[in-house]
Amino acid sequence: MSKNLSYLSGRKGLDFNLFEELGIAAKATGTPDPVEMERLRNEFLFGSANVYGTVSFYDFLKKENEGKELFVCNGSACLTAGTQSSLKDKISSLLPAEKVGEMCCLGRCHENSAFHYQGRNYSGDAINQIRDILDNKAAVKDSYQTGHIGTPVLTAPYSEVASYYQILKNCLTRSPEELLDELKKSGLRGRGGAGFPIAFKLASCKEAPSDVRFIVCNADEGDPGAYSDRYIMEERPHALLMGMMIAGYITGAAWGVLYIRAEYPESIRIMEEAIHHLNDTGLLGQNILGSSFSFRFKIIKAQGAYICGEETALLSSIEGQRPEVRVRPPYPTQQGLFNKPTVVNNVETLACIPYIMQYGGDNYANIGTEKSKGTKLISLDGHFRKPGIYEVDMGTPLSEVIYGLGGGFKSNIKAMHIGGPLGGLVPVHKIKDLTVDFESFAQNGFLLGHASVVCIPEEFPMMEYIRHLFQFTAHESCGKCFPCRLGSTRGFEMFDKALNDSYRIDRNLLMDLLETMEIGSLCALGGGLPLPIKNALTYFEDEIKAYFQ
Amino acid sequence: MTDNKIPVAYINDKPYAIEQGDTILKLIKRNLGKNLVPTLCDAPNLEPFGSCRVCSVDVALTKGGQVKTQASCHTPVMPGSYIYTDTERIKKLRKNIIELVLTDHPLDCLTCEVNNNCELQTVAAQVGIRKVRYPEGKTHLDRQKDLSHPYMTMDLSKCINCYRCVRACDEVQGEFVLSMSGRGFDSRIIKGNDVSFFESDCVSCGACAQACPTSAISDVFESKSVVADKKVRTVCTYCGVGCNLEVAVVNNEVKSIQAPYDAAVNQGHTCLKGRFAFSFYNHPDRIRTPLIRKNGELTPASWDEAYSFIAEKLTAIKKEYGPDAIAGISSARCTNEENYLMQKFIRAVIGTNNIDCCARVCHSPTALGMQRTFGTGAATNSIEDIKHTDCILVIGANPTDGHPVTGAKLKQFAMKGKTTIVVDPRRIELAKYATYHLQLRPGTNVALLNMMLYYIMTEGLEDKDFISRRTEGYESFKSHVLSQNIDELEEITGVPKELVKKAAIAYATAPNAMSFHGLGVTEHSQGTFTVMLIADLAMITGNIGRPGVGVNPLRGQNNVQGAADMGCQPHQGAGYLNAYDPEINRQYEAFYGTKIPLGKGYKIPEMFEASINGKLKALWLMGEDVVQTDPNTQKVIKAMENLDLLVVQELFLTETAKYATVILPGASFLEKSGTYTNGERRIQKVQKVVEPLPGTRPDGQIICDIMNVMGFNQGDYEPGKILQEIAQIVPFFAGVTWENLGTNGKQWPVKPDGTDTKILHTETFKIGKGKFHHFDFEESKELVQHAKEYPYIITTNRELEHYNAGTMTRRTRNVQILKEDVLLIHPEDAARHFIQDGDMVCVESPRGKVDIKARLTDEVKPGVLSSTFHFPEVMLNMITSDVHDSEAMCPEYKVVAVNIRKSKGKYKG
Repeated sequence: MSKNLSYLSGRKGLDFNLFEELGIAAKATGTPDPVEMERLRNEFLFGSANVYGTVSFYDFLKKENEGKELFVCNGSACLTAGTQSSLKDKISSLLPAEKVGEMCCLGRCHENSAFHYQGRNYSGDAINQIRDILDNKAAVKDSYQTGHIGTPVLTAPYSEVASYYQILKNCLTRSPEELLDELKKSGLRGRGGAGFPIAFKLASCKEAPSDVRFIVCNADEGDPGAYSDRYIMEERPHALLMGMMIAGYITGAAWGVLYIRAEYPESIRIMEEAIHHLNDTGLLGQNILGSSFSFRFKIIKAQGAYICGEETALLSSIEGQRPEVRVRPPYPTQQGLFNKPTVVNNVETLACIPYIMQYGGDNYANIGTEKSKGTKLISLDGHFRKPGIYEVDMGTPLSEVIYGLGGGFKSNIKAMHIGGPLGGLVPVHKIKDLTVDFESFAQNGFLLGHASVVCIPEEFPMMEYIRHLFQFTAHESCGKCFPCRLGSTRGFEMFDKALNDSYRIDRNLLMDLLETMEIGSLCALGGGLPLPIKNALTYFEDEIKAYFQ
Repeated sequence: MTDNKIPVAYINDKPYAIEQGDTILKLIKRNLGKNLVPTLCDAPNLEPFGSCRVCSVDVALTKGGQVKTQASCHTPVMPGSYIYTDTERIKKLRKNIIELVLTDHPLDCLTCEVNNNCELQTVAAQVGIRKVRYPEGKTHLDRQKDLSHPYMTMDLSKCINCYRCVRACDEVQGEFVLSMSGRGFDSRIIKGNDVSFFESDCVSCGACAQACPTSAISDVFESKSVVADKKVRTVCTYCGVGCNLEVAVVNNEVKSIQAPYDAAVNQGHTCLKGRFAFSFYNHPDRIRTPLIRKNGELTPASWDEAYSFIAEKLTAIKKEYGPDAIAGISSARCTNEENYLMQKFIRAVIGTNNIDCCARVCHSPTALGMQRTFGTGAATNSIEDIKHTDCILVIGANPTDGHPVTGAKLKQFAMKGKTTIVVDPRRIELAKYATYHLQLRPGTNVALLNMMLYYIMTEGLEDKDFISRRTEGYESFKSHVLSQNIDELEEITGVPKELVKKAAIAYATAPNAMSFHGLGVTEHSQGTFTVMLIADLAMITGNIGRPGVGVNPLRGQNNVQGAADMGCQPHQGAGYLNAYDPEINRQYEAFYGTKIPLGKGYKIPEMFEASINGKLKALWLMGEDVVQTDPNTQKVIKAMENLDLLVVQELFLTETAKYATVILPGASFLEKSGTYTNGERRIQKVQKVVEPLPGTRPDGQIICDIMNVMGFNQGDYEPGKILQEIAQIVPFFAGVTWENLGTNGKQWPVKPDGTDTKILHTETFKIGKGKFHHFDFEESKELVQHAKEYPYIITTNRELEHYNAGTMTRRTRNVQILKEDVLLIHPEDAARHFIQDGDMVCVESPRGKVDIKARLTDEVKPGVLSSTFHFPEVMLNMITSDVHDSEAMCPEYKVVAVNIRKSKGKYKG
């Protein structure tokens, strides 16, 4: 990341955004035209190399993406469901291979058989209508279960928009400090994975000296298996928007940026509509509801890079830089977007704010456990009888989610990968020991993370799953830090060789590699990968020991 | 160290005091040296980056507390924390990371260019790698080398992806030529749109090569190779920035150059001239023997022969026409000691004040203007003040080309969105990043500065306190400025008055504002007046006498400050003492122990006139190519031809040397010692790197020789001794000795106790109070007389790759990067004359005409053209005029009335 480039990008503000322009330029063919890239780099005073470097980073901007029309989901849930090879067969009879690309997790983990075609996602039985889809004749919507145990903070439907925004109106009559205090009392911790208390973040941003601040919503829900942010954006968009506005009011930020992954076209459309609606009803812009508070939204459509879910990479991405992870400090709340103080929070976290403001911080703090307050959304994949999005109070036994809300497994499952690719691999016999909160998972050697659940069937080889995780990391590594850039590829090669030829893994070497990545990596991608692999080594030793020296 | 008030952290259980902003690595390096913790992606002049992770250490917040591994380069030190640099876990981590690196690195150390100077090799040895355990996998060892560039080389099979090159290109040079492409394991350094070095926008500064820890990016001179007999620290001979260079020597030949990180001036950076353009020094074209013109031919002669020939001639001329028929032009390229000797020779041995130097044609208005306003004709502040300022005004200077290292610092400033005002007829590189670009018509600086002053006054933004305490003459100055017709000035400059107003307000309201100016200020008929108005601007806003403010001329040549300091001008002797004052004359006479003239001497343009009029019979030129670089070439040639004796000290047979009666082969900066004074008054040591080429002599030795031959006992050229002599007569050199200059020199004035001065005029001006002077804009005579017939204005400029007449740079591989002068012309003007990019254009002025290749660009406004005079093939000065600054006689290179037409053939005047 370059501070200079952040400044230069920031000169144009958010109305004219380099990253967005590159996306627009790529729309026709799948990759931006070099002449247009040169024009943009001159306009933004970037080097040619910077724009080239940016374009080459993203799955949906890079040259190799040229001509791709249909994208098959290669996420973990579709992988373990085993649906994608027959899906590809069906597609290949209708589309030449060069027009077919891959996308990593379309958030259709409940139905699988997921693919993307011309700005729409399809899953489940949709493949059977592939001819109509290619002719743009079919509109197939997915469906999944929702439900809750405890307080429905996020899943409760809200009233129509105008009266729902009464919460904002009330907030605007109170001082930002008072509202910050409510948030402090609520004990709300970030739902993106790190669990950092949001009130500290907002306070730090608020205190940083600057005339410009930003609220950025990390809606780059890249964890294969997770689709709870998609649920919020598509079903509860105003909880998120209002949450961001209140955060803006508290910190003194006048811009809210939603960074939404390209793999969620429906989410982008719905959020756009929701913002339009707010604009139309005078709930955005200057002096909102007659107050001194002014706020605007900007949606940035991501272009296919898992690492952008890491907050500093996300900020660089918005700036049109290569989304490489930045060192901290400076923290985004001190020097974030365009080097200005910035709050970056996950969708689910921000969407909780209206509830907290409506019912008070104390009320929210009463939900959940001592250290993990509130509720948590959980995404269940297609291996469950009732796949879907469920909201439970923190501290709810995992078994109630699995067997109660989810209705148990459809088939024989040996483990669940919970909390995304960097979460723990939970063998089914550990279900009884876990409750849904940060501490319970950590104490048992797992990670709650974003609380997505991907099941690994009995017959799915653990060796292949580990190889998949290394491959995923190698594909998504930004390449900045040595342990992740080199280690993920070498790890993939070790497992690939063990699966495909007579190579047997040197256990000491693997343990060295895992430790190097875990303690040496710059961010959670390289640092987090060893956890599920170590879980697999612990719990599935018998299955994989034949591949070791 | 364990004082309760000072926060400490413990490294391997021993306490060390923490300083503000310490990272763990900084703390460790400061206390335990730079080798305790290995690093790969860290570099002295770059921001912490955190990619290699080799610098990781274990940290516990309390003694015996839970330990966390952290990269020391970017982790701030927590007070009271316990840092462990070498735990088993850390040792293993480092070893394992390096093992991973070696899975994708050619293990060909013994034949590698950087063998024994490779940071990867060092770290691998330090962590003790014996074996790579991974099975054979994907590698990038087959990556092709890029050898397209005359200087830069790239071999990405050696790349470890530490990004140091990318960061150097960004954080140091501000060029963004390098980036990474792709991601993850396949990410790879690219130049531009993944083109070769040669095709890219690379400015060849070499910062990336110096930053690279391996040989992935290097240069053709293999500057990172350890093969050198010795390394000598010296000062660059090109521009007035004064970069320190570290020159590697093998067998008395220069092998390569790097920039020392501890250099106060350039902090490990320099430009392609400093780093790469040295091969002129032993070029076959070097003159290696004295030459005397015999029967019209320059014929080799011995030194003794040449000296006695000259001595006889000079004595005869002096006898017949008097000493004032002889003149000398010293060189701002030579050392202080040589310049001092040159003026001493002319004054004390010849007996005339006919001494001048090339400052006349560049910054003489700066010296004069600033002397009139402040009392001192030198930069008020230091370059490091860029770090402390809030607003920078760059007027008539193109530092990214002319003063690349300072230019890079200014660009870094501007890129960050800090208030930058560029006043220039061209949209120069800095203008692209500037807050305000006031793109005025050439020659209207005085009008524009009046507009700025006007708005500062009407907006009530003067620093009244400063004005009343430190200045005089403000009231009449103010009423004069306010009487200006602002709409008329807007019309004259062609810059919207609202824009000027905004810029003026920005300058005046900045807590600290500093200005930089160059030849776009001085080389005008109102050059001195412009300098004084810039000084006025600083005074009315109180921007004088503290860090981050002031008036800072970007001195052109490496030692143009020094040449003037040493007395190479007719009216002021060494130390700027008035040469026409009888009192001072007695002082000089006592000091030199001989009679010193009191009469008025010629300035350079007057010398040419005097020669043409038959009054001047002999001219001694030390390293000056007046034919190619002074304006109105034909007139200069006429002056040269009219002389009875023209002695030229030179490295090469320049356009001027071709007219010489005697040529004395001088030595280059690499072959001699002495001192240069840079644009921020910093006196720095130039140290002999190699012996002078056989047959050549240091210019100072030549002057000493002729002084001795002519009966003045000067001894040999010993820089230390001469410096001692200088310190006795030049007041602001009082405390300077060869020894105490150290590595980074001293900024004058240097007090007798050796303390130097970063900022001038902190309490009071040299002349007591600063003096306001007002000047009205006056159109250049050149345009008044010729604009009707010659409706275009051509303004001259410089390109990064070449230095002035190009005598040196054209004899390096720089010509492969830039091989000719071109004419910058706006597409509208080009269309009017059916000129296309690359066409030859005949540019004609009242003096003559030249043919030059067109380059269409909107960098210039319609009606304005621009070009350079680096190449004798064009000889642009055929068309420049001899209109000059009314006060200092600096020629007006920047405003020349011309006409253009598309031309077929190649015409050379």
